[in-house]
Amino acid sequence: MTPLRDQLLEFIDGLRAEGVRISVAETIDAMNAVAAAGLERARMREALAAAVIKDEADRVTFDAAFERFFAAAARLRGEHRDVRRGLAQSAASGRGRPGEEPSPHAVPEEPRHVHARPPQSARAGKEETRESKDRDRARHETRDRDDRGAVRKSPRERDEAAGKSADEHESGAESRRLARLRAIERKPFRDYSDLDYDEARAALVPLERRFRIRLGRRLRIANAGRVDFRRTIRAAIQHGGALADLRFRARRPRHVDLVILADISGSVRYAAELMLALAAGASGCFRRVRSFVYIDRLAEAEFEQGHLVMTPALDLHARSDFGRVLGELWERRAELLNRRTLVVVMGDGRNNRRPARADLLREIAGIVRGVVWLNPEDPARWGTGDSAINQYAREVRALLPSRDLRELSRGLLAVA
Amino acid sequence: MRLDLHDEHQAAFRPPRRGTARAAPTMEITPEIVREGLKRSRYVTNERVETAIFLALAIDKPLLIEGPAGAGKTEVAKVLADLLSTDLVRLQCYEGLDEARALYEWNYQKQLLRMQADEAAGLRWEDLSEHIFSREYLLERPLLRAITAPRRVVLLIDEVDKSDEEFEAFLLELLSDFQVSIPELGTIRAREHPVVVLTSNRARELSEALRRRCLHLFIDFPGIEQERRIIELKVPDLDERLAAEAARFVGAVRKMQLRKPPSIAETLDWCRALVRLGVKELDTDAIRATLGLLLKHEDDREKVEAKASALAARTR
Repeated sequence: MTPLRDQLLEFIDGLRAEGVRISVAETIDAMNAVAAAGLERARMREALAAAVIKDEADRVTFDAAFERFFAAAARLRGEHRDVRRGLAQSAASGRGRPGEEPSPHAVPEEPRHVHARPPQSARAGKEETRESKDRDRARHETRDRDDRGAVRKSPRERDEAAGKSADEHESGAESRRLARLRAIERKPFRDYSDLDYDEARAALVPLERRFRIRLGRRLRIANAGRVDFRRTIRAAIQHGGALADLRFRARRPRHVDLVILADISGSVRYAAELMLALAAGASGCFRRVRSFVYIDRLAEAEFEQGHLVMTPALDLHARSDFGRVLGELWERRAELLNRRTLVVVMGDGRNNRRPARADLLREIAGIVRGVVWLNPEDPARWGTGDSAINQYAREVRALLPSRDLRELSRGLLAVA
Repeated sequence: MRLDLHDEHQAAFRPPRRGTARAAPTMEITPEIVREGLKRSRYVTNERVETAIFLALAIDKPLLIEGPAGAGKTEVAKVLADLLSTDLVRLQCYEGLDEARALYEWNYQKQLLRMQADEAAGLRWEDLSEHIFSREYLLERPLLRAITAPRRVVLLIDEVDKSDEEFEAFLLELLSDFQVSIPELGTIRAREHPVVVLTSNRARELSEALRRRCLHLFIDFPGIEQERRIIELKVPDLDERLAAEAARFVGAVRKMQLRKPPSIAETLDWCRALVRLGVKELDTDAIRATLGLLLKHEDDREKVEAKASALAARTR
């Protein structure tokens, strides 16, 4: 059955080309899975998916590719939709060549309505195509099931099948949502539009959850403190007095005050706002969180019903001046900075050639627990032009790239 | 094709000998048998789940199940055990889970007692140490129990995302060979590879290596039609029309942005409550009175209550 094997290999190659990662072992699994499950279309699709798709976000890509690939193979032979029956039959007759047998009662081909409605706007258009593709697919599925139902299923079963396909269509919504979520997590901040920003805000919910869990875990792991003598002896009684397990006294909870400085000047605005939102969601893991935004001055930031409110209001058209911001922070050090404070700066360090005041940053780093800098710029551009990031980099504990949501949440986890 | 389910299927699932299992994986298990088995276990599902379960049995690979909490992930393992009429060995993961609690541990107290008794009898150290490091003094934890079981069991590793990364790495080794080395006893090999089911809620990303070794299944909440069938099957006392309305209502509630969308189990509890309260009509009052069974967070409840009348109207 070489042709089928080649077809599968080609199909997997196609998936890889679309960015799905499939290992050689998984390819072998896919072959075994198809061999076990047979060529009945819906089942073969699920079998292939179970073997090669390990992230539900890839499922949309897979479904589209499957539809394209295994329909295209049939269309080439001028059979199109009846190939599915052909597949099932050739599997039943043990021949296993897809589309080998022309259907005994060919049904005239229906036109496909992929782009039924004209797109309204660029973005809506993208959605539209995706949705209409799915609609198209769902229609295919329903029709496919109905066909088979007509051949060998009782009416009741056919009803069930129709219901099932409606359900399957609905559950596809979840994988589409996951795919979008992943796409937005990996989209660089500098390519953001306002719509992307809204979508990213929605994507923060699972990230916040993960952030809380991870941070909570880390704090608990840090709990193992000094040996608790009383509990160790008690535990040793079970072991005949041998001190087999040591029991530890819980450490006092770690108190971290977070001070966030986020640059909201045009170039890095989205990154800053998302970080503030993410940190606000995880505020329970810290003793106190103070969020500030800056351009050329410092302003306290708060989220009210999802909107960023700053006091005093900043002039959004001012030119960034982090040196001056550092000066303001230094003046308020009695109120804000102590040895429990972790200062997180989010910005590109582009200072419009004003004094960088890295010396002040050094002073600050000297009195706090640590200063960490997250830079939404591509590392290749760090230090070019008016960027003073290299001067600041010498004074901070860590300088991490955070070009997209994924890197941002990783960066925050690493420092917190 | 109708089969006499009871006898023939038991025979079909008699665990194959090691070696033959790989050589002829599809000899006996067919998708139809799995489908019938799921029906018998009263597990309502779709093609995707059926195929994944079938493959896990047919090509002898662990099955990694992901999906939202309460969509029926753990249930798959229970149904599998039922299907194979075998035991379910369950390992609940949590952070800090280590080998001693997952694999094996020496029974220290018993060893001590033995030593004291043997000392009194004047045994030499060589005999003694041989004695106390034998299977009798080994406490088998779930993983070892699954490996040493005399027949093929279903091993459920629940919420593997909650375990630590080191434990996950350890699992990898176990899942690839199904053998364990205990320094004092030597290597223990699985007589029959257990059917392994892992579930994850994505509290953290699982490693690529683990994903590669498993078949993957994503179980989402059921669609409205499927949920209606589940309700009819599990709460047969509920009026058919009301069951359909309940399914639609829950479907609509899940579409709202909630902290914790209602699980299938919660839906069933809610339906049972509707039966007990003798609700005839799913109106705003009935919904308000019983919402606590569906939603366990105060802010979720407020959100849904505010829209209760609109939802009730839409589900009719």
